[in-house]
Amino acid sequence: MESEEFTLVRDMVRAFATRHAVASADDITPKSRAAAQQALDGLGLAELRRTTPPAATAQECALLAEEHGRLPLTTSLLGTVLLAPELLRLLGADEDGPRLTVALAPDLRLPGPQAADLRAWDCDGAEAALCADAEGTVTRAELGSPTPTADLLRSARQAYAVGEPLGRLAAQDRQRWQGYALVVVASELVGAARSFVEQSVEYARDRVQYGRRIGSFQAVQHLLADATVLVEACASATRYAAWCLDHEPPDRALAAARAAKAEVNASAVEAVYAGMQVFGGIAQTWEHPAHLYLRRVLVGATVLATTADLLPALAAPEATR
Amino acid sequence: MTDGPLDFGDPADLERLRRDFRAWLADHPLPERRPDEPVPAFLHRWHRILHSGGWVGLDVPEEYGGRGLTPLHQVAVSDELGARGAPGVPRIGYLAHALMEFGSEEQRRRLLPRMLAGDDVWCQGFSEPGAGSDLAGMSTRAQRRPDGDYLVNGQKLWTSYAQYSGLCLLLARTDRTAPAHASFSAFVLPLDRAGVTVRPLRAASGDEEFCELFLDDVRIEESERVGAEGDGWPLAMTTVSYERNALDTGHLSKYGLLVDRLRRTAHERSDSLPDGLLAQIGRCVVDYQVLVAHARRRTAQRLAGQVAGPESSVDKLLMTRAEQRLYETALLVFPDELHTEGGEVFADYLYSRAASVYGGTSQIQRNIIAKRLLRLPADDRA
Repeated sequence: MESEEFTLVRDMVRAFATRHAVASADDITPKSRAAAQQALDGLGLAELRRTTPPAATAQECALLAEEHGRLPLTTSLLGTVLLAPELLRLLGADEDGPRLTVALAPDLRLPGPQAADLRAWDCDGAEAALCADAEGTVTRAELGSPTPTADLLRSARQAYAVGEPLGRLAAQDRQRWQGYALVVVASELVGAARSFVEQSVEYARDRVQYGRRIGSFQAVQHLLADATVLVEACASATRYAAWCLDHEPPDRALAAARAAKAEVNASAVEAVYAGMQVFGGIAQTWEHPAHLYLRRVLVGATVLATTADLLPALAAPEATR
Repeated sequence: MTDGPLDFGDPADLERLRRDFRAWLADHPLPERRPDEPVPAFLHRWHRILHSGGWVGLDVPEEYGGRGLTPLHQVAVSDELGARGAPGVPRIGYLAHALMEFGSEEQRRRLLPRMLAGDDVWCQGFSEPGAGSDLAGMSTRAQRRPDGDYLVNGQKLWTSYAQYSGLCLLLARTDRTAPAHASFSAFVLPLDRAGVTVRPLRAASGDEEFCELFLDDVRIEESERVGAEGDGWPLAMTTVSYERNALDTGHLSKYGLLVDRLRRTAHERSDSLPDGLLAQIGRCVVDYQVLVAHARRRTAQRLAGQVAGPESSVDKLLMTRAEQRLYETALLVFPDELHTEGGEVFADYLYSRAASVYGGTSQIQRNIIAKRLLRLPADDRA
């Protein structure tokens, strides 16, 4: 995209987010979810990653995912706009079927070969799902009943593979797909962590205890400074990995994406902990949005690849060079 | 901080420079250190060789002996050297920047070419026994005499390699009444001047890098002052912010070499590796990749016109995190380092412990982030 065009799209997502973010867990209702998803669909983003070459670069998609993560939103930007269309694009499939999201393993990691029991993830607005297994075989999946997840903003459903495989991703495309999915998912978590830390900085500027604004206490300042460093580390890692997807060979891009997800798995959670500590008691309540952020990054750290999956893989000598 | 897409790639002319430098390196292999040669003397010899090829001061304008390119070009040269395990370019970039920004035209033309060529060896006299983190607490005084010269008294500490240096960029208080940040001035002090005593300190590694500098009634001429009276503090701040960047210090490629070595060793010893060590090595890989990504993001921001500021404290903390975890892990992968004398990994490990102290402690960096980046309030007790 031209930079003006990207700014326009991002501002659009930002305005949408401000309007449809929930203030509290109690605001999440089937009606609010449907209205928000309808509004997101109305932005006309479905084609961002549907054509070849794609209208939006991986870096632009990562930045939009980051933007979407900043506020508590129930909408499926990742599953239905950024991820499933990318799979269709890589397959070269040009069908105009039902609205799709992605199906993962029941524990939300990348599915193994020929997995039958699946979990559709980020399902708002989706009518079916696509599953790309460890060997690159892409299958369509039907959606079953909703399944609970600790991330109250995100909907997940049971899913069952149906019919013949739609196709198979060649090795390089499988690396592209996995790298891209890792980066997009991680970017949304970076947006959540960054925004929540910013909110806690704002709070520390106003909240008074012992006759002082708590942000003037060095213990609080250092907590927030460390959280800021973690957020910047996450942002650098995800944005660079996204750029690699656009410009580097797929194996190198996948290595960068794995490193980024590993950083985010650990640091986004750590940063949200710091923010919650600054908010103190209020962040322990149901009505405060803190737990929505915590739930998002905590579950997010298990989506696609956990730290335990990633670190040994990254320690292997052939992983990057 | 809601920036748009960035270009993380190298500009084309940077690739060309790297190729040229590699070709030059092929013809100019790293010299061997002679058994009796102190490390700084060896590094100085290497400095002169690099300079003869035009690889020092790439970002310094040509009229001052440089090549008029950008800091990124100098970084690329550091990076190529680090990737070969060779010593980096001499760490004079921050001194050169101080002179370029604050020195007079005459000083720049006289001092910079000699600095780049290694004709003058420089050290930095900022810290004092009573002014470490709190640099503004310096008590070394430069008293103006009726003839216009200054009479300097005081003591400096951590003056790296002063025993091998000819000139010192010295900070001293010229005004006792002004607020701290307007009361310092900077000087170029020849270390052979009467009243100067240099005493090396032995570091924990056994190396003699740091020195004490004693100044007793040392006369400094007005023409040896850099900038106006009172410019000392902004000059010092410029200098240290250049010292804080992982990019400017060329450590990155050195970490990369060690990370690769840890991975290969772990692979060879996969049967006997202690529990959890593979994951810890993986974590070092992540730290390293994050640092590469972060350095490239900063580079891209610089190319897009952003100036270095308080965010360099974020860079320093990330570099410290990566370096300290990396060398701790290296000691676990190479446990024999603890049972030998003079092990290279162990020496680097000890140096990594200083990473959270030099160039502003990690606590000072957090203060800077809190106050200047996050704009958190100062102590506002009623």
